Amino acid sequence: MIIDILAGAVRGGTSIMYAGLGETISERGGVINLGTEGAMLLGALGAYAVTAETGNPWLGVLGGALAGALLSLVHAVLVVSRRANQFASGLTLYFLALGVTALFGVGYVSRQINAFTPVAVPGLSEIPGIGPILFDHDPLVYIAYVAAPVIWWVLFRTRVGLLVRTAGERTEALEVHGYSVKAVRYCATVAGGALAGIGGAHISIAYANSWFENMIAGRGFIAVALVIFAMWNPIRIMAGAYLFGAALSLASVLQTSGIAVNQFALNAVPFVLTLVVLAVLGRRTMLAAPDELLKVFDNSRTT
Amino acid sequence: MSQDVSKEAPARPAPAPSVEPRRRLLTRGTGLLRWVGALIAGLVVFGAFVLANGADPFAVYADIWTSTLTQPGQFQQIVLRAAPIALAGLAVVVPARAGLVNVGGEGQLIIGAVAAAGVALWLTPVASPWLVLLLMVVGAAVAGAAWAGIAAAMRLVVKVNEAVTTLLLNYVALYSMLFLILGPWKDPAALGQSTSVELNDAMKLPVFGGTAIHVGVALAVVAAGAVWFALTRTTWGFRLSVVGGNAEAARRAGLPVVTLLLTALLIGGALAGLAGFIQLAGMEYKLRPTFGLTIGYVAFLASWLSRHRPLPLLIASLVLAAIAVSGNSLQIGSGLPAASVNILMGLVLLAVLGWTSPRKVRS
Amino acid sequence: MTTDAVARARGRVGKPAALLEVRSLSKRFGEVQANWDVDLTVLPGTVHGLIGENGAGKSTLLKMIYGVYTPDEGRMFVDGAPVSPGSPADARALGIGMVFQDLRLVPALTVAENIALALPGGPTLRLARLAARITEASEAYGLAVDPSARVRHLSIGERQRAEILKVLMTGARLVILDEPTSVLAPQEVEALFGVVAQLRDRGLGVVLVTHKLGEVRTIADQVTVLRGGQVILNAEDPGNFSDADLVEAMVGRRVPPLAVERVAVPPRDRAVLELVGATALGDRGHVALKGVDLEVHPGELVGVAGVAGSGQKELCEVALGLRPVTSGTVRVGESVPGLTGAVAVPEDPVVDSVVPGLTVLEHMVLDGRAVPRRGLGIDWPAVGARTAVLDERVGLHMAPTKRTLSSLSGGNIQRVLLTRELGQDASLVVAAYPSRGLDVANTRRTQELLLEHRARGAGVLMVSEDLDELIAVADRIAVMHDGHLVGVVDTAGADRMSIGRLMLGGVA
Repeated sequence: MIIDILAGAVRGGTSIMYAGLGETISERGGVINLGTEGAMLLGALGAYAVTAETGNPWLGVLGGALAGALLSLVHAVLVVSRRANQFASGLTLYFLALGVTALFGVGYVSRQINAFTPVAVPGLSEIPGIGPILFDHDPLVYIAYVAAPVIWWVLFRTRVGLLVRTAGERTEALEVHGYSVKAVRYCATVAGGALAGIGGAHISIAYANSWFENMIAGRGFIAVALVIFAMWNPIRIMAGAYLFGAALSLASVLQTSGIAVNQFALNAVPFVLTLVVLAVLGRRTMLAAPDELLKVFDNSRTT
Repeated sequence: MSQDVSKEAPARPAPAPSVEPRRRLLTRGTGLLRWVGALIAGLVVFGAFVLANGADPFAVYADIWTSTLTQPGQFQQIVLRAAPIALAGLAVVVPARAGLVNVGGEGQLIIGAVAAAGVALWLTPVASPWLVLLLMVVGAAVAGAAWAGIAAAMRLVVKVNEAVTTLLLNYVALYSMLFLILGPWKDPAALGQSTSVELNDAMKLPVFGGTAIHVGVALAVVAAGAVWFALTRTTWGFRLSVVGGNAEAARRAGLPVVTLLLTALLIGGALAGLAGFIQLAGMEYKLRPTFGLTIGYVAFLASWLSRHRPLPLLIASLVLAAIAVSGNSLQIGSGLPAASVNILMGLVLLAVLGWTSPRKVRS
Repeated sequence: MTTDAVARARGRVGKPAALLEVRSLSKRFGEVQANWDVDLTVLPGTVHGLIGENGAGKSTLLKMIYGVYTPDEGRMFVDGAPVSPGSPADARALGIGMVFQDLRLVPALTVAENIALALPGGPTLRLARLAARITEASEAYGLAVDPSARVRHLSIGERQRAEILKVLMTGARLVILDEPTSVLAPQEVEALFGVVAQLRDRGLGVVLVTHKLGEVRTIADQVTVLRGGQVILNAEDPGNFSDADLVEAMVGRRVPPLAVERVAVPPRDRAVLELVGATALGDRGHVALKGVDLEVHPGELVGVAGVAGSGQKELCEVALGLRPVTSGTVRVGESVPGLTGAVAVPEDPVVDSVVPGLTVLEHMVLDGRAVPRRGLGIDWPAVGARTAVLDERVGLHMAPTKRTLSSLSGGNIQRVLLTRELGQDASLVVAAYPSRGLDVANTRRTQELLLEHRARGAGVLMVSEDLDELIAVADRIAVMHDGHLVGVVDTAGADRMSIGRLMLGGVA
């Protein structure tokens, strides 16, 4: 059962991980996006629809990424170009996505698709314990293994990453060297949305293999919280995401093993866990927050 | 901080005061114009969405128009919908004055209703109806405040932003309610959907003679007036705006910053809790899985649409309630999901957020 | 060609072409003519001093040269060729480098990352190779900097060196230093001037912006004076002018030296402010104030000197009760009967005390004292009346009370806060950089106000970056280094260099 829970943690945590990695990029650039939840919703539906129409889940992933990127592009227009309040814009986009996916998702509610299936890695999946936990999953899980270190490397070892981090720390330093803060933030926010879209895609075409209204059920908001206590570090995002995956998979594993626990009490566990972790670690991890982001957090001055 | 000394100039007399009122009128006019423009833009884009989904937008709009605004009694429906939105909107307005973003109206409303339902459940057999009703009001307000208080404590003690925590608490509230109505509070007589036991008739809010309008609507209007007075006419309201503008300045001025932030969020939570109470005792009469669904989020949009001013908030609540009511007819008339109208609401606020030109703040 | 220009051209025969030549630059912001018909010529291998009061137009001129602002009129030449830099990147491509007063480094990044931001390069950072280049350059110019250090952990002097190195590594031939010495200890200023002299000897042009005449005399080959946006003295040899001449050129009239009427105040036993072993944490959780013992007596003005970020801010906040001490004690007492309470001029007005959307009048009640009430609200007419009296008494001529603070310049904001705080009686006055952003006349008035408080029997604690100002007004100077109070010097007979040694943590 332990192995089931851990394997479930990896599978269940993958969507949160993609979204968390995306939100890390966005917040490193100084933009917080509560619309991550909406980008995941759009990504889930986009991926599901494209997969249903084309029969190819890889095209579905692409569709999901595009859908998420599109929503975040609107966020970027509002908060970067129009300087709207980041929380208000993000939440409005979540609400918008809720409506859009309800409207366009009607026709897909009971459609069957050619979803991703687990691909056991030859050799590695044979290892007792580790094999079933890590190496018997759908391809998006494996890509996520690589995505976190790659994004870390991009953020901390490349010029693009340096520009993103500078946009989140001190905009004057970017401007004085002839870079456009707006351009950098647009890119970071849209890239973040695309990753959130892939996270959504994982839920609809690899995890649940179905589409229903509001299916993300708060995972996007957990991802936003996760970024805070992962201290804006992709590697920590990876660890944190699997922790939440474990909390999510607990419900289904317990249910299948016949232990009678109220399902809704279990559903609340990831959210309570997030709040508890924030309460315990928040004070320390907030010290690592990018300076420009702190301004958004502290002075959510309303217009 | 670089001081742009070039702009250092001797203080000049302010622009002639006679210009001020006229300019204010003008900005108010353009504000209204923006609103209307935003609504039209929202309608156009929404129409495009509907079209893309294979329905005829003109037929949909005609349907909405006839079913929502020309049917007798529909206006009362809109008012009834608007009341909890307005109360939960005030729950955004008050913290916003202190620079806080309360996105937890959804959860605070649910917890308020749960508390009210709990009071009714336990006390109906033993206490007089009026006492029960009174305790339901108090319970809802206290529970909503306590729920917001968790976010307030995390903001003040561990410095985690309240927007993130209130959002998470929404889900905890929702699952807690579901736990209750599918478990201990489940009405054994309920068919199909699980619900709690319906309120005793004595605990249902009385209506104004000959209408469907219950006293909860009056409560919302009175609350809006009280919040307006408190924010604009009292020392407390002024202090809140100082904290919201620059908390460090407030601290240095000796203002009780922690208390102000705390009271703003607690009062906000209490107002959302009251919204839950009137939704329960005036509208739904029992908890069900979709109880109060999206009222908290719609209220958030209403508050931003009205730029966190209590009286315009009442109008914004009415407009959004009208859109929400039209969602029902949309479902019945055109077979589109009711949640589709969320698009329209979201688009209107997006347009307003995008068109509100950023205030020039000199560093 | 006008005869004037011909004469100028003739005069240049046999001299090297100007590195930078600015002709008739003008710039206007709304009703303020920030620059009018400004000329500036910087020759290679020279240090050009640019002096003027706050508001004289120095920053505007520099920002036009550096491509931040576009001039309304006028032309610029680099190496004799006409140029019009439209952005800092353009300016840098022309070999113009600027070291901003508040620097443009990112505190969260390392020195190497900050420099990588300025240099062209491939998609990856290759930090190890860059670090080697930085070390090489830092040895060549004598600017010791650790490339892997995080800027947040560097002292102000180290940050400045990193910034200068960054500018040099981008290939600047003209280096503009905007008030680089204001945050440095005298010894650090000497070291900086050593670097500047070296740059000059290598044939670079240096523009040094300052308002300290001594520095112009020490290092500048030529001096240009701006006043009210216009050039008063153009590229003159500073040796030909007395200090009084230069001050007159800056200010437009002869300014008598501050009448240091230090009224003798009878000594009292009880201190107004008494710190014993005061230790406190800074904003980022580090120990910022380390066991400070300090007494301020009634009728005494104690100056606080130190390199920026040595704990001055925390000292002020601890004295005002705004920051808790982790150990030690803070006691605030009454000075003379009837005189109680503390007033404060904040270190960073915009961050600490300004609520952008509120008006001047609304700021007047944010002084921590009782507010006139009417019913549940505030009696604004009464506040207005009180404010008028205050403005009259203080004499700094605040902006109209209806203006919002977001519409005011730094200097006008400072005058609002000074009027509110220094206009009232108090037993303790804590003034951090009180003359920030002010012109000479208002600076003078502010110093008088502090001395008036002292004469009434208040204890005054005044933080300043300007040692000369402290020596002019303070009775004693407390010197801080790295959170410690390293010495208290009697102003009578104090000398700058020994104070400077204390500022750097040495022994007086």
